[in-house]
Order: sequence, then C-alpha cells, then structure tokens
Amino acid sequence: MTRVAITGLGIISPFGRGRAVACAAMRDGRSGIRRISSIDTSALNCKIGGEVPAEAHQGAFKGFDRFSRFALIAAEEAMQQAATGKNVDAERFGVIIGTGLGGCETLDGAFRRVYKEGQSRVPPASIPWSMYNAAASAVSAHFGAKGVAYTPVSACASSAHAIGQAFQAIRAGDADVMIAGGADAPLTFGIILAWESMRVLAIDNEHPEKACRPFSADRKGLVLAEGAAALVLESFEHAQRRDANVLGEIVGFGITSDAGHLTDPSADGAARAMRLALRDLAASEVGYINAHGTATRANDATETTAIKAVLGDRVPASSTKSMHGHAMGASGAIEIVCSLVALNDGFLPPTINLENPDPACDLDYVPNASRPLRVPVFLSNSFGFGGMNGVVAVRTIHGL
Amino acid sequence: MTRDEIQQKLIDIVRQEKDIPDEKLTPGTLLTDAGVDSLDALTILFAIEENFHISIPDDKARAIKTFGDMVTVVEELQKT
Repeated sequence: MTRVAITGLGIISPFGRGRAVACAAMRDGRSGIRRISSIDTSALNCKIGGEVPAEAHQGAFKGFDRFSRFALIAAEEAMQQAATGKNVDAERFGVIIGTGLGGCETLDGAFRRVYKEGQSRVPPASIPWSMYNAAASAVSAHFGAKGVAYTPVSACASSAHAIGQAFQAIRAGDADVMIAGGADAPLTFGIILAWESMRVLAIDNEHPEKACRPFSADRKGLVLAEGAAALVLESFEHAQRRDANVLGEIVGFGITSDAGHLTDPSADGAARAMRLALRDLAASEVGYINAHGTATRANDATETTAIKAVLGDRVPASSTKSMHGHAMGASGAIEIVCSLVALNDGFLPPTINLENPDPACDLDYVPNASRPLRVPVFLSNSFGFGGMNGVVAVRTIHGL
Repeated sequence: MTRDEIQQKLIDIVRQEKDIPDEKLTPGTLLTDAGVDSLDALTILFAIEENFHISIPDDKARAIKTFGDMVTVVEELQKT
C-alpha cells in the first residue's frame, strides 16, 4: 500500500504566524485567546476569541477574504518547508482545504451595507470571495496545483476530512503531492451573535485566557477562533526520490456519521471513527490523542466515553483548544500541526485551565503543563455539528 | 470637477483596490497591461460608482479598456 509522508507544515493561529510560535505556545501552555480587536464588539456579550494578531497577516495576499488569506499564508509556510522546487508534476499535485463557514467577513460586510447602512448594492467580489472553495482555489492557483482540488464542508470536522481525503487521494494513486488543511475566519458580528444564541460560548471577557476549560467540572463552553493550517502530503516514493525531509506519516483515517442529532454528539459515531483510523495499526502504538475537547458540556463527556471504548484509559488525551480556541473547520488541521510540532519536539501539549476535574471526564488530559514524552503515533479527533466525524492517525518522527 | 481632478481621484481609488506601479497608472495604459483582471475591474468600477455617486451602465462599463476610458466615462456621467 502507498505510504503517505508529511513533508511540510504551515500554520497561522491566535499564537501568530508560523510553526515556531505555535510550538512555543504548546510547550509553555500559553493561551492565545484575547479581547477581539478586529471588529467592534460593543453590542456583543462575547468580546473574546482566538483572534489571529493583526501583525501576523496584515499586508499578505491582498484581494481575498480573510479565510483564504489565512489558507495562503499557512500553505506558503508548508510549501517552503517541503521545498518541492520544480520536482512536482502539476497535474498530479492537488489541494484539499476544508472550511466550516467560508468567507464570513465578505458576506457580513456586504450584507451590513444593505441591511444596516441602507445602501442598495453589494461589492462585486462578494460571491467569489465568500464561496467555500475560495481558499482551496486560491491555494491551487498560487502554487500551480492542477490535480485533485476541492473543499469539504463538514462543520468542525472539515479539515480532518480534508487531510483524510488527501491521504486517500495519494493512496489511491490519484496524486503525488497534496496540500491539505483547513481555514476559517468566523469572528464576525453576525456569526458571534449566532453562537451566543446557542448558549455554548464561554464568555469571560475579563479573563479571556481562562475562558476555555476543556474537561473541567466548571467548563462553560467553547471559545470561537480563527486561523488556518496546511500540510504537504506526498507519497513516500515521491518524497524519497527527491530526498525530502520527512516530518511524519499519515497512517489512518476514519470518517463516520452519527446519523443522529444535529447538535448532540454521539459516543458511538466518534468511537467508530477512531476504530476506522486505527484499522491498519496496532492500537498499542498510539501514545497520544489530540481530543476534539471543545469544552462544551456535551462534547467532553461523550468524547471521554468514546476514547475509553476504543483505547481504554491508558492514552493521554489533551485539548489544545484550551489554548487556541475552536477555529471551526480549521481546527482539525491546526490541531494536527500543533500536535506534530510538539510531539516531534518530544513533548505532549497540555490541556490548560484544568483546575477542577469533572468525575465524568476521568482520563489523563495532560493537565496544565506540557509533558516530555516521545510517542510513535497519535490520533487527532474532530467531531462536527451534524454528527460528522473525522479522525486522523499520524506517525511522528519518533515512530518512523 | 475638472478632468484632472477626476483623474487624480480615480488614481486614489484604483490604488486602494489594487497595487499598481506609478508608471502603469497612465491614461493610455490598458487595464490588462496594468495587471487588472476582470474581477479587479468590477471592484474598481464599483468603488468609482460609490465615490462619484454615479451608476455606470453595463455597456459603458464593458467599453472601458484603459484608465483614460474610466476618466472619460466618469466625466460624461457627471455632466448628465
């Protein structure tokens, strides 16, 4: 079977631009959640989020929605690291970038003109900037990737699905090299208001860095975030032929549907996705799980049940959302990149703000401080609204 | 507003929408030669309409090939 190497990693997140700042935040257990400054929050209850700092993206890639610009920045870093040069057949080079909500900034701004400001028309780029595949299209055009290209949209599982589908495209022989990941920029007035109405936001405007408390007894909900992450995947044969530096390997992908409730998660759907991701592996190799860990009442207890059903209680499972928040469709990719840079550096990223353990959440969540440990394989869990689940199994450099 | 004033205001509008070097922002430069693609052109025309409080009909918009054409269209529409 074709093996799929990871040869490039890129990220733009609430920690700033690039792998190095993300890795340092994972090591230090530092929150990137802050008061939102990119929009006027005076009429919102929730004034905090995992906002990408302005200096991390200002001036880069003009002429796209915010989420596409994030995707381009992340893909650029990943491609620089992969250093493919001219060694790629453009027609066997593809892009799969997932998103949950697409070009929110464009649509929010366009409709505000009409509904609030009383103007009669919206800007002409409103459609091509806001469409869900705009980021994948921008990355494809920028890097000349002419093969498999599209955008999976499955809420918070979108980029897990993107990476899984890119892995399968290479395994199936449809591509040599893929840029895979996710991007979202949902910190707009309308989207934050919509999340407020669902009553699942942790709103602590005075202590933003303490707001997100996955697996804690006093958890209040998720913190919305934004950003993008991208991986360069390629067949091992292709990577070896050009003597590429291999950073890890995708070794499994599980995709399932709860076929249940629109917003209530199911332990069964999550557990089945984890088992599918492990089908070509010995479960004993899994040394870490990057949990979906949204810090909602429902997710954390259900996910704990699912993990115990599949792997028992021996595997440490942390939620890095405690630090970067929930970047919707980008979260799976952000979490895989954060996990891999941390694990390749020899430590497990922590769950911060875990001061009050919940009896219903009784796994080792790597509380509050990163932990030196070398693990060969990790799982990354992503479970989206709509009951759509994606789990990606990744081999680190220590397991290659 | 004089033709020169319109031209200066147009240059400011175009610069806000697209990074174009000075030497390419002359009245005779074809928009395509200045790197203005079809979507850029739509965005620039939209900004012109907003700034000058005019409405450029589709047939006039399609006929614009250079920056000078833009100035002429704005000048004509301002008179009416």
